[in-house]
Amino acid sequence: MADGNSANGKTRSRFTRRALLAGAGGGVLAAPVLAQRLIGDGMIDLGLPGGPSERPLTPRFPGKGEMIVHRVRPPVLETPMAVFDHGTITPNDRFFVRWNWDMPTQINAAAHRVAVGGAVRQPVSLTLDDVANAGDHVDVVAINQCAGNGRGFSQPRVTGGQWGNGAMGCARWTGVRLKDVLAKAGVADGAARVRFAGLDVPMVDGAPQFIKSIPIDIAMRDDVLVAWGMNGEPLPLLHGYPLRIVVPGWFSTYWVKMLSTIEVLTGDDDSYYVAKTYRVPTAPVTPQDKGFETVPVSVMPPRSFITSHADGAIIALGQPLELRGIAMGGDAALARVDLVGAGLELPCKLGPDEGTYGFRRWTLRIPEVTGDLAQIGVRATNANGITQPAEQAWNPSGYARNVIERINLRAQ
Amino acid sequence: MKHWAIILAVLLAGCDSRPDVVFVNAAITLPDDPAELPPGPGLQAVVENCTACHSPSTMLQQPQVPRAKWESMVSKMIETYKAPVDEQAIPEIVDYFVAVQAAQVANPGGA
Repeated sequence: MADGNSANGKTRSRFTRRALLAGAGGGVLAAPVLAQRLIGDGMIDLGLPGGPSERPLTPRFPGKGEMIVHRVRPPVLETPMAVFDHGTITPNDRFFVRWNWDMPTQINAAAHRVAVGGAVRQPVSLTLDDVANAGDHVDVVAINQCAGNGRGFSQPRVTGGQWGNGAMGCARWTGVRLKDVLAKAGVADGAARVRFAGLDVPMVDGAPQFIKSIPIDIAMRDDVLVAWGMNGEPLPLLHGYPLRIVVPGWFSTYWVKMLSTIEVLTGDDDSYYVAKTYRVPTAPVTPQDKGFETVPVSVMPPRSFITSHADGAIIALGQPLELRGIAMGGDAALARVDLVGAGLELPCKLGPDEGTYGFRRWTLRIPEVTGDLAQIGVRATNANGITQPAEQAWNPSGYARNVIERINLRAQ
Repeated sequence: MKHWAIILAVLLAGCDSRPDVVFVNAAITLPDDPAELPPGPGLQAVVENCTACHSPSTMLQQPQVPRAKWESMVSKMIETYKAPVDEQAIPEIVDYFVAVQAAQVANPGGA
């Protein structure tokens, strides 16, 4: 794990003590103050270059286990990397949370409606039961990952949510196909995109609402859902109850939560969060560049992580070493994972395939540790032949990080 | 007895193929955000203009960036996000974050 998170007790108690000392010293910085007041049960170091790098950990959000706190309101919570060592499905109580605007904290199920309008034959206003009865119920295992996952590791650093690598999770989503919901209204000729809005709205008049759209051909895919189930449970409110969009292979920004409006567009989407933000350069840029061409962030590239060992962990000299972790293919199936390092390239064994868009376990047994393993990492390659790069192309918003994440293991 | 078991199994199988979905009312209570902003020049301006929308946590977890970047961030809040920020307060807001970040870098341990 490049971010150095550790589930071991030593790390936890050290940070706890430091937080307490910081509090006793008068609390010059925010993170220790947060820890002292909100939590009192620890801090975690995300290893963000140049800092500030420590964040509070808390189990105090409703329905949540211990999570890394980036923001209290609206909630932005990160999954500790240690969670990903436990399995390829991320439990709901450890799944990352990200809201752009204030989220409602209650839902009246009988009153909730999903308006389907725009370029349709007949606009409709659907109840939750109407949505659930719109078509066959479908399960999809898919990774939900923030476009800014890993932004805190950008060098040079960029502003925005300062995530480590835990703004991702994989769940089994249950719902109906978006195309079946669209059919209730009937898509009109000339449809180009489908836009979604939820119940989270700005606090200030005139500020842009968080609305997002996807191309019509993506919207009509068999695995793009209006979902109400997450890992066999109703969607938790923090994850968008009662309904959210699921777009397997695409970044989370399109998976609109607390879905209330579906709008079919006949042209480009000029709304703020599509036309102005969540965009990436079309060609490599430097921090000095201005005015370059950008496109909306969309499909996810492959990524992989070592979860069995944290950066700096000690391994036994002369003994076998079992390494394991998780990997994803992004918008295509995972094809292979290799452990790479100086003079090292070893194919890893892949675990069960739970679906094209889910995490997959990888394992590797090294028969004998003969010395330190410096700057090792895993490199995922997907079925389209896209492979993780050795160097991260910088972009001004720190989107779509997928560089090979490196750690050092010390033999003794 | 056996017959009942079979009938039950058939009913369950029927449920499996198209499970009923029941939507109920739901509510949660979010924790308070008690984080305090550390003292610094312009603290009052930040409290009055920024904290309605931003947790202190988010503002203080940003990486150290130059003054010009803080100025552009405040402008973005006003122009794009329509934040009702007092124009007179902008230099004080920027002063505050530049000073707090300098203190963070000088004293990364926090104590």
